[in-house]
Amino acid sequence: MPRKPLPSLMLAGLFAALLSGCAKQTPKEPTPMTPEKVEPNTLLKPAAAAKPRVALIMKSLANEFFKTMEDGAKAHQQEHAGEYELICNGIKDEEDVNGQIEIVNQMLAQKVDALVIAPADSTALIPVCKKARDKGLVVVNIDNKFDDGALKKEQVSLPFVGPNNRTGAKLAGDYLAKQLTKGDGVAIIEGKPGAFNAIQRKLGFEDAMKAAGMTILTSQSAYWETDKAYPLVDQIHNKYGAKLKAVLCANDSMALGAARALQGKAVKVVGFDNISAVQSLIKEGKVVCTIDQHADQIAANGIVHALEILKSGETPGDKETPVDLITAETLEKK
Amino acid sequence: MPLVPNPRSEIRKPTSVKGSLLDEGGPVRVVPNPKSKIQNPKSARGWRASLIDSLAMVGVLIAEVVAFGVLSDRFLSADTFASIVNQAPDTLVVAVGMTFVLIVAGIDLSVGSVLALSQAALGFCVVREGGLGWPLGLGIAACLGVGLLCGTVNGLVTVRWALPSFIVTLGMLEIARGATYLATNSRTLYIGSVIEGVSSPIPGAGALTWPVLISLATVAAGQMALSMTAFGRHLIAVGANEEAARLSGINPKRLKFTVFALCGLLSGLAGLIQASRMSSASPNAGEGFELEVIAAVVIGGTSLMGGRGSVVKSFLGVLIVAVLRAGLFQIGAPEYAKRLIIGTVIVLAVILDFYRGRLGRREGRR
Repeated sequence: MPRKPLPSLMLAGLFAALLSGCAKQTPKEPTPMTPEKVEPNTLLKPAAAAKPRVALIMKSLANEFFKTMEDGAKAHQQEHAGEYELICNGIKDEEDVNGQIEIVNQMLAQKVDALVIAPADSTALIPVCKKARDKGLVVVNIDNKFDDGALKKEQVSLPFVGPNNRTGAKLAGDYLAKQLTKGDGVAIIEGKPGAFNAIQRKLGFEDAMKAAGMTILTSQSAYWETDKAYPLVDQIHNKYGAKLKAVLCANDSMALGAARALQGKAVKVVGFDNISAVQSLIKEGKVVCTIDQHADQIAANGIVHALEILKSGETPGDKETPVDLITAETLEKK
Repeated sequence: MPLVPNPRSEIRKPTSVKGSLLDEGGPVRVVPNPKSKIQNPKSARGWRASLIDSLAMVGVLIAEVVAFGVLSDRFLSADTFASIVNQAPDTLVVAVGMTFVLIVAGIDLSVGSVLALSQAALGFCVVREGGLGWPLGLGIAACLGVGLLCGTVNGLVTVRWALPSFIVTLGMLEIARGATYLATNSRTLYIGSVIEGVSSPIPGAGALTWPVLISLATVAAGQMALSMTAFGRHLIAVGANEEAARLSGINPKRLKFTVFALCGLLSGLAGLIQASRMSSASPNAGEGFELEVIAAVVIGGTSLMGGRGSVVKSFLGVLIVAVLRAGLFQIGAPEYAKRLIIGTVIVLAVILDFYRGRLGRREGRR
């Protein structure tokens, strides 16, 4: 009967909340700062003898993109089960920065050898990653690049493995521009304000639209969500009417909402991320194109990068992963 | 109505206690006669005060429309209002349920997650690839059933262990969201044209769509239940003073349970309406929806302390927020400005409620 387990579940939840409340204080404690005195070789030798343990820390696993990323990483680990161990973690939602810092601390306590992290915030996660580096861990930044200025200020360099969002958005914008005529009005639907990839995608869209001589009528945020994009796009269409020829969305979830709001109207929609729901819309001709960042490979590439560093102990460079344009034709080929 | 055991004495007595408690809290509040604060819905002066409240809210709405009409050249168009009307139904139906919950001094934080879970159930049942491929009717039944189930659990747990609904529904917020991720495998389910018929215009009724009709009917039924039936007056009595209501022969547990179950069912209905509008079920649907609904209901003058509320005014509250959002979208306000303005309007509306409540009471005494 459901009666008895429920209170205990709630108790467990409360307990967890209390625990995380206590643990949150740890980052505030002064950490032994020994900047740039790390010698990963010597520090890592004992661990390298056994199978290295890699912690993959992502953003929200409720997001299809990160879910795919996790699946890709797990598949990679299974193929290379003899080479390393993998611990996967994700946060509640994409804004849960504190939660992610907490996970990094937990992984430090777990004494993993490498951290592969898709930071929820491009600056807020730097101090804790620096702490991990100072303790001798290999830290690889994936998906969402740390802010260069903040990295310099903290005097750390963390290798980045991931796609270039701006290039991807430009690719989609260029493809769209071919179907428009010079001077046409377009709208950009942005991701969450302040998110690095949201900004990069917006810039990429702008690059393409400016290069093709289009007029950007408005650029507003729908916080990555379908149900927030629908009313926004609806009102933008009401405001600009026939002047609006295309809507460029910084992710596919928002493209879904935009396509539905513009159903039956002569306005083109562009997305980003290549989620399965949007593939159906591309086939139906309701969305022009999207961008595939090969989410399944991003984390795996980051892990491979981390393992190489563990082996060689050399200071590595960044590694860009591919972005591909997905249109009705490319989907047909598959 | 004859079903109420001596309504004059039993119901107004507890509410007047409530009123005086509230009045002690406000530093500048001078209420000469706290007894008249609660309006007996049947009395003429209650209706008059209520009408003044509603007119004040309509005034705010008109002010918004005029302001955006000046600021944006194309705001005053049939398209704009058609869009607003088409957006509103999901918020509206849940606002009706939330009004009832707030009246019995409860709160339901799980509505957004329950909306998403119902939607996910719908998608899972109807979608062919990766789903069950059932006919739409069964999908709709599953959608509403899941909503009702979640509401029932909220109600049962709250009533059985006499727990604060805040924490029970907070738990449900997490549980339903987790279940949504599980059911959708964290992926957006594209339902496609099968579901679009639900939000299409009703044949022979012009641009009127099913969701709009359903939501208006829900508002009408909700307001009638609240002000014209014993059930409604019992709710107000329980919210104002549960112990007094119980002593006068009302069963507060059953009423509370009913209200939470109803709110869950209406969240499921909202999930159906939203899914049909989006043609898809998103695992992140309805994130923050609970706060949007609560804000609209509170703007409508429903008290978070219970014992006071109106469905029609919640309806106006939903419209006030909807028009505001639409206008801000059209003028392309920067993100920080949107949030600053919406937050300010919520607080101003509640302050206004304080004054119009006073006005209504004074009016009532004459």
